[in-house]
Amino acid sequence: MNVFRIKLSANTDRYTWTWLLAFTVFTMISWTRADSSDAGKFTRLTEQSTDIGDQTARMESLPKFIRGKTIYQNQCASCHGENGEGVAEEYDEPLYGNRSLESLTRRIVRTMPEDDPDLCVDEDAVAVSAYVFHSFYSAEARHKMGMAPRIELARLTVPQYQNSVADLLGYLTPSMEVKVPKDPSLEAFGSEEAGLNAVYFQSKGMNKANKQKLERIDTHIEFDFKEGSPHSDIEPDQFAIIWEGALHAEATGHYEFRVSTQNGARLYLNNDPGRARGKLRDDSSVAGQQALIDGWVSSGEMRAMEARLFLLGGRHYPIRLEYFKYLEKTGSIKLEWKPPHGIWQVLNGEALKTNRPPRTFVVETIFPADDRSLGYERGSSVSWSWFEAVTQAAVKTSSEIVERLPLLAGFKAGDENRASKLKEFLPNLAQLAYRRPLTGDEDLLFREELLAKAESPEIAVRRGVMLALTSPSFLYAPWNASDSSSDPYHLASRLALFLWDSMPDRELMDAAAKNQLNSREQVLAQVQRMLHHPASKRKMRCFFEHWLEIEERDLQKDSELYPDFDKKLIVDLRKSLNLFIEEVVWSDQSDYRQLLLDDHLILNPFLREYYISQEVSEKGKEPEINKPMTGFQRVRFPREQRSGILTHPYLLSAFAYHNNTSPIHRGVFLTRNVVGRALNPPPVAVAFKDSDFPEDITMREKVTQLTSDTACMACHSVINPLGFALENFDAVGRWRTHEKAKPVNTLSQYFTEDGERIEVERARDIAEFAAGNEAAHTAFVSQIFQYYAKHPPAAFAANALQSLRLQFTEEGFNIQKLVMEMAVLAVTFDLETGTQL
Amino acid sequence: MTKNIFNRRRFLRDLGLGAATLPFISGLPSLNASKALTGAAPKRLVVMFSPNGTLPDEFWPDEYGDDVPLQLKPILKPLEPFSDRMLILKGVHNKIRGDGDNHMRGMSCLLTATELLPGNIQGGSDSPAGWAGGISIDQEIKNHFQSQESVRTRFGSLEFGVAVPNRADPWTRMCYVGSNKPLAPIDDPGQMFEKLYGGAQDRKHMSSVLDHVRTDLRRVSRKLSSEDKRLLNEHMEMVRRLENDIAAAEAQNDLVHPEPEIDPDIELVNDNTPEISRMQIDLLVNALANDMARVASLQYMRSVGQARMRWLDIQEGHHSLSHEPDSNEDAKEKLRRINYWFATELAYLAQRLAETPEPGGRGGSMLDNTQIVWLNELGKGNSHTLSNIPFVLIGGGAGFKTGRALDFQGVPHNALWLSLAHGLGHQELNTFGTHKYSMDGPLCIS
Repeated sequence: MNVFRIKLSANTDRYTWTWLLAFTVFTMISWTRADSSDAGKFTRLTEQSTDIGDQTARMESLPKFIRGKTIYQNQCASCHGENGEGVAEEYDEPLYGNRSLESLTRRIVRTMPEDDPDLCVDEDAVAVSAYVFHSFYSAEARHKMGMAPRIELARLTVPQYQNSVADLLGYLTPSMEVKVPKDPSLEAFGSEEAGLNAVYFQSKGMNKANKQKLERIDTHIEFDFKEGSPHSDIEPDQFAIIWEGALHAEATGHYEFRVSTQNGARLYLNNDPGRARGKLRDDSSVAGQQALIDGWVSSGEMRAMEARLFLLGGRHYPIRLEYFKYLEKTGSIKLEWKPPHGIWQVLNGEALKTNRPPRTFVVETIFPADDRSLGYERGSSVSWSWFEAVTQAAVKTSSEIVERLPLLAGFKAGDENRASKLKEFLPNLAQLAYRRPLTGDEDLLFREELLAKAESPEIAVRRGVMLALTSPSFLYAPWNASDSSSDPYHLASRLALFLWDSMPDRELMDAAAKNQLNSREQVLAQVQRMLHHPASKRKMRCFFEHWLEIEERDLQKDSELYPDFDKKLIVDLRKSLNLFIEEVVWSDQSDYRQLLLDDHLILNPFLREYYISQEVSEKGKEPEINKPMTGFQRVRFPREQRSGILTHPYLLSAFAYHNNTSPIHRGVFLTRNVVGRALNPPPVAVAFKDSDFPEDITMREKVTQLTSDTACMACHSVINPLGFALENFDAVGRWRTHEKAKPVNTLSQYFTEDGERIEVERARDIAEFAAGNEAAHTAFVSQIFQYYAKHPPAAFAANALQSLRLQFTEEGFNIQKLVMEMAVLAVTFDLETGTQL
Repeated sequence: MTKNIFNRRRFLRDLGLGAATLPFISGLPSLNASKALTGAAPKRLVVMFSPNGTLPDEFWPDEYGDDVPLQLKPILKPLEPFSDRMLILKGVHNKIRGDGDNHMRGMSCLLTATELLPGNIQGGSDSPAGWAGGISIDQEIKNHFQSQESVRTRFGSLEFGVAVPNRADPWTRMCYVGSNKPLAPIDDPGQMFEKLYGGAQDRKHMSSVLDHVRTDLRRVSRKLSSEDKRLLNEHMEMVRRLENDIAAAEAQNDLVHPEPEIDPDIELVNDNTPEISRMQIDLLVNALANDMARVASLQYMRSVGQARMRWLDIQEGHHSLSHEPDSNEDAKEKLRRINYWFATELAYLAQRLAETPEPGGRGGSMLDNTQIVWLNELGKGNSHTLSNIPFVLIGGGAGFKTGRALDFQGVPHNALWLSLAHGLGHQELNTFGTHKYSMDGPLCIS
């Protein structure tokens, strides 16, 4: 990669630079960790703001500052407004941003004023830039002006609501330990291996579990016994099998299940495994519970029975399949599923575990989508349909709780302590839902009044649940209340929302109760613990799907052009991308740069064949393979070809047409999400129509023609070079050197935001640029922060973004550490230095 | 009903189960109370099942025919108040053969009058079998009703159970939507109550806590900045709107007959069967009175049912008792008590219908327009015969001539179902179940 630095100007003197840099460093004082002398204290992020203010006041009297102000008023204010607020018809975007002072200065030198960029260069540019930066452009300046974004009151987002309700019931369940039936043959279970525990029986007439013959772990259920039996010790005419364990649901959504057999079978999913009897008779062995699929009675014909269930992602659910064959000529059983974004496939050991999780209550109510107008989901508004959903979900949850009341409240039929246990139950529930101890009035209400007013305890519980789940104390995120700072429960609650999108677990609540969230160390210890919880991994995964814009992608391609690019391959590709991200993010280095620069992909044999065969034939060299190919493995690629996520075939295919590449889609994605540059919406709507162009020209030529207009080029001069650099990859992300007969040309000149001109020819050029570029880092930090906090970083502290970015850089771009620092910042930002700690 | 039970009665409406599919804010569909005001009186069907055969000596009258006064043997004594509205049918056989033991066929071929499909469920004898191969007569009649706008109801039919074990097999299902498609009865009064009235109940509970929600909103709001208050004000508006909507829904959905009052804490255990039975009958009559359905079934236990009727001071299981030889006087006495109890429940059902005026001010009682059919999977327990199924018909829905006992000397029961369908207005039905058994057309009982 060649970099040509544009010099500021020949006569920019050394003094100017020193002044400028000193100022920049000073204003970017990072949120430093407490040193040993004040260990146990938070160092406030905004601590230095008053100093900055003093310093700025002194600055304002400096001649350079006055000079900058004068230049601004003369040359800039007519378009940008007196204080950078913008002027209608001229430039109506406010002059606010995240650039550094240096970067802003370069931009001014290069582009301003728009009609004559040479008018303001050198020391003029330095002076006006400093004035703009410190007066209104930077987050700190806006803070001083009282224009900082604030943390707006927000309700729980839909995922936060769903997870909170699921965990509320989970925490209410007395013991997370599932009682293993007394049958000694089942006691050995409890390990966490891939697959399901299987117990095989010889049946005798109505007694399906007459003799236990075999016990093992089956990684998947796809057996064709034909006229034989599963084992030499089992007679083929009649036998039965129970499979039991956990199903891991990765994504939130509707899951479909299919049981195929000509014999008898019943599938239970998310049942209450504590109620299982461990025996197998004609009647249900899972007392009182509905099977998801009941195909016990069969007429010997092969049936494929399907059912659908909504599950929350990142969780384990109990699963149990019962099967029997009775005198039918042949026997077979197959269990398949279709997860969200998936295809029908045999459920296998990747999603099955031998442990026995408890039931998770999942609210199936459909909620309206959260506001995403700012690029991340947030609970910034309430609507009637949201309110209706909340009400209905509260009703459904109350039904679940009343139905399971003996289990949840811990009493048995005829228990003489029933009344007293019920008295404890509702306050306990409300306290969990509100994520804090109850006030005196609330305690009285949930402990006494509801019970006294209702015709029965069940009615009281039902009403109590409805109230708790529709109260603002449950529905709103605890960031705003004026009394929230220094309340350890608020802190715990924020932490759980930030890291888990859910409510605090017992341990976190205990820490709050014992006042053990009092120092940065204590908070950090909780954050470290919480970061390795499955809920945390779920949130991280969702962030990357969001950042990479792959949440709802349709990758299907023209089947004539790409006949083997089928649904299965797409599902495998998605998995490949997720595996790669997880491998990087959850490694010790957790290095953001590796996401961009790594030269390997994680592929299974199908993908490997699809993505490598061509290279072998074209380049004549075999990529390096680390391990024997079983399932997904790391596959190394030539460095000049692949570079991290930028060249992951899933993304290359996602940002492409069904029958061709799309440099514009790829370029826009790279510009916004990877390089971190803002783009305005297109000034004119132009649709790309392949048929408008002659057949024999390349995609690059088509796009160049299409965007040649000056208005287009304002952005496309940035977009196109990035998109063209990926023209070595066809619409399904395979390496190519020719487009039809013509060789692919990927070389372009790219001007960075700071006016640097770099030569871009390969994906790796872009990746290396982004990996070392401040704007790219800022964009990443900003995106991940907003996704986690549901508020912009500047709402928490004026220099939050800057200091997080600096820290990110100092910590070797460690994503896990970044998330932990963000968490500490977001939950402690409003603690008063004096009063707290 | 004993006074004791009555005193303990409370509203069941809060026993919360299975509300997942209930309408909440959308309100209940019209209950069609006004529809009954116009046109002909509605026709209804209620099928009641009890298992393990009867005691022929204690059940069948000695004489049959139009001219003979109806004689009620000991088992049928509880039905005396209805003797002039009763029809006892002897000589009607379940002739369906094929796969499955007699209990299976007795149950699953009773209302379907067709063979079982081959299958994997092994009975105590004979070859294994699967589900029945056709629709049951109650569902056939329901479909006929539901196909006409004027008699269509919210549910069409309701399947009640009492102490039905949680299993799905040919011994446990008598209603079929079609071949291979059994219909499960709901044996939990709480679940049935939710199905019938759940949405309305949920609204009442919700409205009872809205004041507290408002208090919370105000309390939280006080601590917020003015910008943030706006969101909570909008939220508050919605609480108000919900309150109004609930009030409006209540006004619209006033039931002709308010929900029955029943014990909310009832556990679904054997010993509570008598109470559960009465709850289900109350719910059934109420649902019919509110015109939620015009077809209902009430299934006690299941074929081969082993209920231990300790409330009758009987410790042995019902099915085991039914196997005892005729010479076992003790068993016989107990079986008499058991079947007497079923007749008592039937009498309660008939009584409830008789004392409920036909809605719409037409005059008469609901029993005048409701055909009750009591039946059993066997003729006699210890012989497992499917001949002489003890059919008792009560009420007026099908227009049969009552106050008599008839002996048909061995006709297939398919013919009875044709008569029933015709009597209830489904005249186009020419054949039902196994064709060869319905070729002679309906029985002449009108």
